Amino acid sequence: MRKWTMAALLLILCLVVSACGGNNAGNANTGDSGAAAPAGTSAGTDSSSEPAKNEKLIVYTNANSDGRGEWLIEQAKSAGFDIEIVGAGGADLTNRLIAEKNNPIADVVYGLNNMLYENLKKEDVLAKFVPSWAGDVEQGLNDPEGYYHGLVKQAILLGYNPNEFTADTAPKDWTDLYKNDAFKGKYEAPTLLGQNTPRLVVAGILTRFQDPNGDLGISEEGWNEIQQLYDNGVNAVEGEDFYANLASGKTPLGALVSGTLEQKEEQYKVKAGIVSPEIGVPMVVEHAAIVNGTKKQATAERFVEWMGSAEVQGQFAAQFNAMPANTKAAEQANASVKELYSTLKPQELDWAFIAENMDQWAEKIELEIMQ
Amino acid sequence: MNVRSLNTRLASMNPIAIILYGLIIWFVIAFLIYPNLNIYGEIFFKDGKFTLEAAEKLLSSERAMRSLYNSFILAFSLVVTVNIVGITLVLISEYFDIKGAKILKLGYSTTLIYSGVVLVSGYKFVYGEEGFMTKLLVRLFPSFDATWFHGYWAVLFVMTFACTSNHFLFMGNAIRKIDFQTIEAARNMGASTWYILRRVVLPVLKPTIYALTILTFLTGLAATSAPLILGGKEFQTITPMILTFSKSMTSRDLAALLALILGLATLVLLTVMIRFERKGNFMSVSKVKSELVKQKIRHKFGNIAAHILAYGLFVLYIVPVVLIILFSFTDSASITTATLNPSSFTLDNYIQVFSSMSAFKPYLVSIVYAAAASVIVVALTLAVSRLLHKYNNKWTLALEYSLLIPWILPSTLIAIGLIVTFNTPQLVIGNSVLVGTVWMLLIAYVIVHIPFTLRMVKASFFSLDSNLEDAARNLGAKPFYTFRKVLLPIILPSTLAVLALNFNGILADYDVTVFLYHPLYQPLGIVIKNSTDAQAAADTKALTLVYSVILMIMSTITLYFVYGRNSRT
Repeated sequence: MRKWTMAALLLILCLVVSACGGNNAGNANTGDSGAAAPAGTSAGTDSSSEPAKNEKLIVYTNANSDGRGEWLIEQAKSAGFDIEIVGAGGADLTNRLIAEKNNPIADVVYGLNNMLYENLKKEDVLAKFVPSWAGDVEQGLNDPEGYYHGLVKQAILLGYNPNEFTADTAPKDWTDLYKNDAFKGKYEAPTLLGQNTPRLVVAGILTRFQDPNGDLGISEEGWNEIQQLYDNGVNAVEGEDFYANLASGKTPLGALVSGTLEQKEEQYKVKAGIVSPEIGVPMVVEHAAIVNGTKKQATAERFVEWMGSAEVQGQFAAQFNAMPANTKAAEQANASVKELYSTLKPQELDWAFIAENMDQWAEKIELEIMQ
Repeated sequence: MNVRSLNTRLASMNPIAIILYGLIIWFVIAFLIYPNLNIYGEIFFKDGKFTLEAAEKLLSSERAMRSLYNSFILAFSLVVTVNIVGITLVLISEYFDIKGAKILKLGYSTTLIYSGVVLVSGYKFVYGEEGFMTKLLVRLFPSFDATWFHGYWAVLFVMTFACTSNHFLFMGNAIRKIDFQTIEAARNMGASTWYILRRVVLPVLKPTIYALTILTFLTGLAATSAPLILGGKEFQTITPMILTFSKSMTSRDLAALLALILGLATLVLLTVMIRFERKGNFMSVSKVKSELVKQKIRHKFGNIAAHILAYGLFVLYIVPVVLIILFSFTDSASITTATLNPSSFTLDNYIQVFSSMSAFKPYLVSIVYAAAASVIVVALTLAVSRLLHKYNNKWTLALEYSLLIPWILPSTLIAIGLIVTFNTPQLVIGNSVLVGTVWMLLIAYVIVHIPFTLRMVKASFFSLDSNLEDAARNLGAKPFYTFRKVLLPIILPSTLAVLALNFNGILADYDVTVFLYHPLYQPLGIVIKNSTDAQAAADTKALTLVYSVILMIMSTITLYFVYGRNSRT
């Protein structure tokens, strides 16, 4: 009998918990409807065209980690913008934007690379908008059609452990990794194709073998080279930090992203050597764009104008060790960053071509090339 | 019999019951069948015609076929090994009289509070290239290969011990229901310990074993972190490939097809198990149950062996967790080399995680979502299990199988299916748009957790003695009253355990969350992923462990509140 009363008590507890759960969910929703109200009403007030109207903007980005998101929210606030950031990985964010395109939630999306913006453009997710700072961005980085415009440059680099190689003995280009026996089994192959960096490494090699008659636009020679890249490399392991393996000498060669170099050096006490191939390095640019179908077009435009300005980008670069795409802001970048970029030449890449084929390349590599 | 079925039928004419069942049917159609068929349609009928291109691609890929094969090998091996280890754990902690069983139990239950990549890295601290065990072995045998811990056996080893959580919880509940008098009687008639186990204890555990077998099989098929980290080139499995493909627009068909194959395999096994379940009557015979008294192992050598086994397993379970906690106070350099050095101990990581007040909001958001979703999903499956238990016809069968739909799609695609379906007004939900509301994520969490919950809740329903219900009915109790006062208390322990497991699972979910979360309510999983992403510049290795420890604490609290206290009554 006692057991049953205990059980009954637990049942009541359970009901209370469930009631609380329900209540909280309800609260969460009321909170939402309050917040969502501006979005709803904005559609109505928009038609009365009040340009000074400052609605809350929903901003999607993959570049908000390490306090960058908080910094932007803070800065935007003092500039009079009310923004809410939705942060997620680049590929996830792109999928989410495409899935939501019939009823977009986001107003602005920034931080993605060219490849992902090309996908979004193809799916009609972006609205055309050319901000006034577009002209200050380094030549050839912006979308020529005017849908997205450059903020921050990131270089995908081939790095090496300085204790194992010197500038002379290190590879001169990605292709050396599999052509020269000295590097076989010493580099990390770009196997985690769910992530962006490995994809860009692959794209940087494949696009050298563009051939309209080849499989997926790539000549047979190109596919052979990629096959060798995977055959002679060490598979990346999920959850491991490549820089740790570079530092320990387990795989002393592999891909690095310029923006994280300084912190990684500090964490692992090894300063990676950087290869600068003659053909150049894949230069990824984080862009800003407005989402097609936003109900807050005017505010979104003003926000993009503000965010991409030389002033904001300069401050951002100084704070986060970044390399601005805006030439006026580039002067304010930190010395070490400027020095790194002065030695690097951007590789010529046909982003539309890459964006169109990258998914299929990745699929082919996963199915036919990887071991 | 006739009178009884007529009675139950009349009872079910209760208007509240009809509304309730109507709601269930509406939910199944609106959220399980419709969006998922929609995404399948979108994937396989591109441009209006059906293509088998995906199947051809997969069949011609040696790697895909080998990975698929490996997944099945792993699933079947795990069914055997996890059942053995799981039953052993339960016997040690619940059935036999082992000294210090309470502490042992704590050790065995550590798998309940961590999983995935973190769990595997915990094992790597011990057995990996730089691991403590490996270093010891190298010192003892200088020719020992430090990279020994990879491939099929490493994956099987880690997963065998990591996947006993369900056994520990549900079989523990089942074994406590065994009637002690039957055991006593058998013993008095001269039955040996082994004979009693086989003929008295095991039969009562059967429904639970069937349910756990399916879950283990599914876990094996869905294995991601362990094969990715420990499998190496020689033992790759299919789920990592499914995950990669499901995130790429053009490869979704491959992901859906592969998931369908795995799902169908699970359903085949499930059908076999349901047959078994129907065939047997697994209730214990006694109507007046007396509580189980722990059995002393009378054979002296056997007793010593059992104690050694018990404590050996304890060490095996506890060491990875302890190491994760210790390493969360160090930095990435220490973590990657698995060296514990007092000088590298720091609190910085924890300070960084809790530096601002806004850092607490995601915890609250995730707790509310997890609580709401896990309560809803349990309530739903309780009602459904009741239906399945009461009626046995083609309609209930159809209902049961439609509730298992989430097993045949990767969760990424379930999320995308929901967005694609509900970002325009849909008649089935009263012409409203769900995308962009807070409800979207809640619904997704509920959907994804239905199959697991249903399996476990149903299993405990089927071990119910239907005489109890009849007795209550004969005494004049109404159906809902009977359910509440007679049936629910008996199945409550298992139900609460499911609730706790679901709650913990939702807390740090990323795969579903990332597509559906509301901009104003960022859940914990997103925060963790953002700050530990490969692109992040912070000390991501250390932060990953810090967040894991925080989640461990949260999970422990949940388990204590929902389950721990109950098990002590």
